[in-house]
Amino acid sequence: MSYLSAEDVSVAFAGLKALSSVNLKITPGHISGLIGPNGAGKTTLVNVLTGFQAPTSGAVTLDGQPLTNLKPHQVRRRGIARTFQGGRLFRDLPVIDNLEVTGVGLGMSRRAAIAEAEAMLDWIGIAPLKNRIAGTLPYTDERRVAIGRALMGRPAYILLDEPAAGMSAPEASDLSDLVRRIAKSLGIGVLIIEHNVGLVLGLCDHIVVLDSGAVIEEGDPAAIRDSEKVRHAYMGTAADTVRANLEVMA
Amino acid sequence: MSTSSPVIDPILSAEAIAARKPGPFSLAGKSIVTPILLTLILLAIAIVTVMIGSKPFNQVIIDLFVRVILVVGLYVFIGNSGVMSFGQIGFTCLGAYVAAWLTINPMMKKMSLPGLPDFILKAKMEYWQAALLAALFAGVAALFFGRVLMRLSGIAASIATFAMLAMINTIYSNWDRVTGATSSVVGIPIVRSIWPYFTVAAIVIFIAWLHAISRAGLALRAARDEPTAAAASGIDIPKERLVAFVISGAIMGVGGALTAHSIGVVTPDNFYLSLTFVTLSMLVVGGMGSLTGSVLGVVILSALIQGLRFLEAGVPVGGSMLALPKGLQEIALGIIMIVILALRPSGLFGNRELTLNRNRSE
Ligand SMILES: Nc1ncnc2c1ncn2[C@@H]1O[C@H](COP(=O)(O)OP(=O)(O)OP(=O)(O)O)[C@@H](O)[C@H]1O
Ligand SMILES: [Mg+2]
Repeated sequence: MSYLSAEDVSVAFAGLKALSSVNLKITPGHISGLIGPNGAGKTTLVNVLTGFQAPTSGAVTLDGQPLTNLKPHQVRRRGIARTFQGGRLFRDLPVIDNLEVTGVGLGMSRRAAIAEAEAMLDWIGIAPLKNRIAGTLPYTDERRVAIGRALMGRPAYILLDEPAAGMSAPEASDLSDLVRRIAKSLGIGVLIIEHNVGLVLGLCDHIVVLDSGAVIEEGDPAAIRDSEKVRHAYMGTAADTVRANLEVMA
Repeated sequence: MSTSSPVIDPILSAEAIAARKPGPFSLAGKSIVTPILLTLILLAIAIVTVMIGSKPFNQVIIDLFVRVILVVGLYVFIGNSGVMSFGQIGFTCLGAYVAAWLTINPMMKKMSLPGLPDFILKAKMEYWQAALLAALFAGVAALFFGRVLMRLSGIAASIATFAMLAMINTIYSNWDRVTGATSSVVGIPIVRSIWPYFTVAAIVIFIAWLHAISRAGLALRAARDEPTAAAASGIDIPKERLVAFVISGAIMGVGGALTAHSIGVVTPDNFYLSLTFVTLSMLVVGGMGSLTGSVLGVVILSALIQGLRFLEAGVPVGGSMLALPKGLQEIALGIIMIVILALRPSGLFGNRELTLNRNRSE
């Protein structure tokens, strides 16, 4: 059984403990959720998993092999893709080129990269955006292009950093469908960071809750929904919206 | 890259993708029309020069073509990577001395450069053979320096490239028996025909274009614009930078060899701060991210420089000579550059290229 895991990962930034002995495991075909209040360390964990941040201690392994010393592009070539909180598309390039560049980065010929990019845009359902300049896209489309870019070369794992932020309810629901297809029909292991707890509870097979750099709870959606600790962690931050979300699901 | 689970979705299966007829590559806004038009512009300049038949003007245009080669060389690295290098003229220095070593009459070389190894002392090559070897030598040197430099980024990288230039200049200014130190190395065969310079400029423009549309050029520009996302897309940024640095180094080297053959003498200070400043200005004024900008930046600034020189030398007005005070040329040029950059911070062409289709941009 293959897996991607963070083992006892800690990260300290000049005294600030961003992560403390975090363990996390993702497997192909499954959707894991990573939630927690602002500043909990979610993005930092994704940075560690993708080679952008070296852990102060602990390790990242892929099928038991350590990845900790690899650079970001090497991690990507091992089949671990990610998106960014801010989108970070190649803004001056057309959508198709955004995907093509990634194919090229993975060693494909330009022709093969374009063929896959076109197939990918079809699959996601954004083929009409093909020739739009990425920097001119609305938010929702930008997110879907970023996901398409990360899916180039069919990675084994994809880590999504707040892909639904700022989306309306119907848009978020479309996004959930897309994420489900990525896991279920492509067999990719997904880790999704999301503040919309309702979306996470409805989508994920397994959820990890971070607070102040530590895992305070994990389990299936039902367990997370009922957890006192989780409710407590969210108090005082975005308490109202989170409670509303939790109640909608209950 | 394959997943451990089989792909179930048929439209993303390997067979379905392979069976697709993909659209042509977009060339990211870079059409072959651009190098063709640029070459035609230079060709027109060359033909007019030959028709005019004036020796001094011929020399001015030879200088212009050499500058085009150098500035296109800068564009290949600086324009595509976005990393400012102050060191590329160092490779021009290396290329110029290779040309000197290989083409000066062996009798003269024994006297002026006695420290050269025997096989070089005996060599007497054609200028074009020497120019090819100059490109090779400068390219290898760029590979050597680049392996270290390309790990750096931002200001640190720029300062390190400057250090490389200073180092090359210092070595060549002191290695008496091999480079003649700071004294002029004379006796380099002068090539007065304009065509070799035009031909190399045209070839270099096409090489720069080919690099820009290649996988390496595409990846490098993506990394320039969004380095984090590029790394997350599997792009090995230091490697792509190194590729451009080596191509740029080779172009700068061939430019150095042609400089040597255009004037017949070299000293290390021909290839130092002043040439670095002039060529970088031309690149920046034209537009760093544009091949068109780098070629036309040279043409426009060279025309300005010539115009100012002409005024400095004096124009007859009525019965008397009206001349600009000496030194005003540099000052006027500086002012013009500042004005252009104030009005168009990304240069005259920015990221745009000359094409027949008016709205192309990267
Ligand atoms: N490069 C860095 N240097 C110093 N501190 C950092 C750095 N990156 C993150 N931090 C700090 O680490 C903590 C965790 O940040 P992180 O971005 O991982 O949180 P997050 O859970 O993703 O938050 P959000 O929901 O706002 O995106 C924060 O206190 C943040 O300020
Ligand atoms: Mg975050």
